[in-house]
Amino acid sequence: MRKPDGKIVLLGDMNVGKTSLLQRYMERRFPDTVSTVGGAFYLKQWRSYNISIWDTAGREQFHGLGSMYCRGATAVILIYDVNHPQSLLELEDRFLGLTDTASTDCLFAIVGNKVDLVEEPAAEDQRKDGRGPGVAGRGGGAPKAPRQVQPEDAAALYRKILKYKMLDEKDVPAAEQMCFETSAKTGHNVDLLFETLFDLVVPVISRQRAQGPPQTVDITSYKTPGQTPSGCCA
Amino acid sequence: MMSTKAFTLVSAVERELLVGDKEQGHIECVECCGKNLYVGTSDCIVYHFLLEERAQPAGTATFSATKQLHRHLGFRKPVSELRAASALNRLLVLCDNSITLVNMMSLEPVPSGARIKGAVALALNENPVSGDPFCVEVCIISVKRRTIQVFLVYEDRVQIVREVSTPEQPLAVAVDGHFLCLALTTQYIILNYNTGVAQDLFPYCSDEKRPIVKRIGRQEFLLAGPGGLGMFATVAGISQRAPVHWSENVIGAAICFPYVIALDNEFITVHSMLDQQQKQTLPFKEGHILQDFEDRKRRSFCCLLRTGDGLLQEHLQTGAELKASEPERNLLCSSSFVDCLHRVSQVKRGQWVMGLATGQVNSRGCKEMIEVTPRPGRIRVGGRVIVATSKGVYILVPLPLEKQIQDLLASRRVEEALVLAKGARRNIPKEKFQVMYRRILQQAGFIQFAQLQFLEAKELFRSGQLDVRELISLYPFLLPTSSSFTRSHPPLHEYADLNQLTQGDQEKMAKCKRFLMSYLNEVRSTEVANGYKEDIDTALLKLYAEADHDSLLDLLVTENSCLLTDSAAWLEKHKKYFALGLLYHYNNQDAAAVQLWVNIVNGDIHDSTRSDLYEYVVDFLTYSLDQELVWKYADWVLQKSEEVGVQVFTRRPLDEQQNSFNPDSIITCLKKYPKALVKYLEHLVIDRRLQKEEYHTHLALLYLDEVLQQRPGANSKGAEATETQAKLRHLLQKSDLYRVHFLIDRVRGADLPMESAILHGKLEEHEEALRILVHELQDFSAAEDYCLWRSEGRDPPYRQRLFHTLLAMYLQPGPSVPELAVAATDLLNHHAAEFDAAHVLQLLPGTWSVQLLRPFLTGAVRDSVHARRTTQVALGLAKSENLIYKYDKMKLKGSSVRLSDKKLCQMCQNPFREPVFVRYPNGGLVHTHCAAGRHTNPSPPGPGART
Repeated sequence: MRKPDGKIVLLGDMNVGKTSLLQRYMERRFPDTVSTVGGAFYLKQWRSYNISIWDTAGREQFHGLGSMYCRGATAVILIYDVNHPQSLLELEDRFLGLTDTASTDCLFAIVGNKVDLVEEPAAEDQRKDGRGPGVAGRGGGAPKAPRQVQPEDAAALYRKILKYKMLDEKDVPAAEQMCFETSAKTGHNVDLLFETLFDLVVPVISRQRAQGPPQTVDITSYKTPGQTPSGCCA
Repeated sequence: MMSTKAFTLVSAVERELLVGDKEQGHIECVECCGKNLYVGTSDCIVYHFLLEERAQPAGTATFSATKQLHRHLGFRKPVSELRAASALNRLLVLCDNSITLVNMMSLEPVPSGARIKGAVALALNENPVSGDPFCVEVCIISVKRRTIQVFLVYEDRVQIVREVSTPEQPLAVAVDGHFLCLALTTQYIILNYNTGVAQDLFPYCSDEKRPIVKRIGRQEFLLAGPGGLGMFATVAGISQRAPVHWSENVIGAAICFPYVIALDNEFITVHSMLDQQQKQTLPFKEGHILQDFEDRKRRSFCCLLRTGDGLLQEHLQTGAELKASEPERNLLCSSSFVDCLHRVSQVKRGQWVMGLATGQVNSRGCKEMIEVTPRPGRIRVGGRVIVATSKGVYILVPLPLEKQIQDLLASRRVEEALVLAKGARRNIPKEKFQVMYRRILQQAGFIQFAQLQFLEAKELFRSGQLDVRELISLYPFLLPTSSSFTRSHPPLHEYADLNQLTQGDQEKMAKCKRFLMSYLNEVRSTEVANGYKEDIDTALLKLYAEADHDSLLDLLVTENSCLLTDSAAWLEKHKKYFALGLLYHYNNQDAAAVQLWVNIVNGDIHDSTRSDLYEYVVDFLTYSLDQELVWKYADWVLQKSEEVGVQVFTRRPLDEQQNSFNPDSIITCLKKYPKALVKYLEHLVIDRRLQKEEYHTHLALLYLDEVLQQRPGANSKGAEATETQAKLRHLLQKSDLYRVHFLIDRVRGADLPMESAILHGKLEEHEEALRILVHELQDFSAAEDYCLWRSEGRDPPYRQRLFHTLLAMYLQPGPSVPELAVAATDLLNHHAAEFDAAHVLQLLPGTWSVQLLRPFLTGAVRDSVHARRTTQVALGLAKSENLIYKYDKMKLKGSSVRLSDKKLCQMCQNPFREPVFVRYPNGGLVHTHCAAGRHTNPSPPGPGART
């Protein structure tokens, strides 16, 4: 197995479309997906680097695994559903804490998925309650509803994250650069999201490589304890 | 989910073997080490069995266990864990919170009575931090609350090295190096007992679920996570593999690369670590132990021993049965010794020497050991996996990887087969793996091919470095009869040929053929083709010919390796005669090629590949180096078309036109073909500008003949007549080589005035020529042109004389012809500059009006005025120049030069000894001899040139 050089983790509430987004990018398709169990990952070769992309389970049950997946992550993609304001709130309440284990210079991207379901000119108020079994299952006939989450809300969260991480806005990519609205179904902005992130991640990886302590154990410095003669042949 | 058969479950120890008569004792734990199988029971008995493996032809194995002995440990508690330390020949027995050391063979406790007290659970460190080969590292969960202890266990003593307290009560432990992987009450953690640094992994609930902590390899553990997940975690607290999805109530897990095996109350499930998919499910009720035992004794080492007799190189496979009769080998095969090698070589090469060069070694005549080279990767794929119920012990026997892969391929599960093969890479020696993997890729390629998944097939063939002939051989008749190819054995696929594969479906067949075409075309220029270019190109030719593909011709006209006999027969069969000709040509059989093409043109055989085949043949002959061939078919091409056929000679590369293609022979040959002859002579005279009188005269005569011939029907073929005539006139005008007199004789009386005029002109008989033009033809513009033509390149007086001659002819006294007068005025007005005006005025009749000659007169006057003014300007300029010189002269003479001792010659820097000197215009003084010696100005101090 190729050893990954960097890690990107997808986080977000259940049914926001993490798996669909990743599959759209990696496999160029939008299949029906079932609820992710635990996690899954893909390896993506970008330039000379292997980047592993981890898809996590949004279900509460697997919440405890999140921080392990985030450990040492070079970038975290926080995903919400633009039609469900609660999913954005969850990012802050439940998922942000999981990223404490990520590397200190971890990058954050905030992604509003399912923009294909947004009815752009807000004509009729067809508010849809309850979260159904994922958009993927609903197929093409999904009713459109006016936008529930504005892009500014995501940008506000991004700034909040920076504050939480005690990062200076000057040192990290701007909110406009790191907030995306995508549709895994139509593919809208999906490549842009991942490729923008890869391009930002690569310099981080090379920087970490340059600074990081050697990962190999120096066996020559090891001291053997005093040896006793063996009685094996006695 | 389609299932794979990765394991078979075979029974190892039936309950009858476990005493049998006592009903209350049931299995609590098992341990397996090499062939030794130990079973601990609830009634405090340890059994020792010897496992014999018997390979079965089907690929799986059966086991039979022979009981060696059993021993009651003397407690009333169950034996809760057993661990073998083969390096020490000790079995560690956990019973009643105490770990006892017993001899692996006799099961007798060590005489020293060494034991570890207060242990709830234990784990052996398979990646020990100590370099000491004569001890094992054991880690225990202590009966003390929240305490883990680390011990070193020697043959007959134990030593505590560390005690670590944990944040919560530990329930399960695994260890790798300094890292403890612990299941605590509410979460899993990694704890470095050396530094004390703890790393949280993830929470779980010990109330609901029994934790599983399992070391699966270097620095990596497998844990039972929430929701029935099998989670992987490294010592750094990172997950590098995606989790596998078990059932909620898994009670045990084991690893047998590349599979994760899990046990619950009803099933054994097998997941692949490579794609996380569940691969196999085996029903197994009431199982409560699942354990893997890495067969650590299968590593091999290369030892170089220096004995009294010299060097002895020994290749050791640990655990191998070696004959006791050979003393050196006997020495080496001792298990402790082998484990030493294993450990020591891991730590540091060289350090072990001191440790091993003990008296015993020397006493056997072995002076020193100078090299130990571990051969890594010789581990058998996976170890032994054992499951047990309370009554019986079973072994999960892995099917050989190759068999598994073949099974997958047989059920067309290409992706999985490849993943499995790739995953096996590190467990199989490199060379063997490459051979195996290539073969699998090729097989996979054929599977994709049979499903018409050509893109995938191509990629697999490419990466599997398939011998292309394997693919070609699927297509009937494509391989040349002479090919020595035989399909690989065992076969890469199950198909006899394409007919069988497509079941006669013509459309599929056509698709397969198109694929092969493109594939062969791609590989023929790559290294894949090395060694069998003939087979590839011949096959490609056959495919192209059969499919009537345009590339057939491209293939044949470029570098190729098509085999002649095979290809020729095939092309003939498919009536590709033109292509066949190309093939002959490529094989240096031009005569056969041309004969074939001639037959096509003649209609003897039919092939419509080229509608312009005749031209093609002409072209071919033109550039053919085979002179004989050209002469042989010269008549044929000329008979077909004189104009085109003659190109054989006219377009021939120049350097070749020497030898037998000299003009005279060709002209002789062309005697019968007048049109061709004309073309050829034109080629000689006009294109090649051969300055040979004969050709020029001959050509002129041929033109003339044609003109004369066309005469009678001049009206009907007017255009053509003029064309030939124009050519004749052009030749007569431009060439200076033909025999003028001879031609004048021929032209005379033939009523060809223009031609006569030209010929006269050639003889400088201008009066006669102009007479013909003016009086016979009355073509005044021709007359003017004549003057211009003849005076081309001559001096102005000659030109003037010609024009005056013409003017005189116009003004000739005689019967007044009005046209002549008009012609005269036009001539004067148009060519005013060619005349001497004064002379013309004398010639002109006085009656002509000035108005009539206005352009001429105006021009003449202007010329005259212009000439006068120009001359005046020139005169003025000359005078002024003269004045300048005069001025200079005055200036130079005007002042005196003073010569003293201090003045030095500018040239030689010596003083002047004589009064004679030379003075340059810029004032520099030099000796006369210096000036004579050098004619140039001595580097002038300022501007000024000698005038």
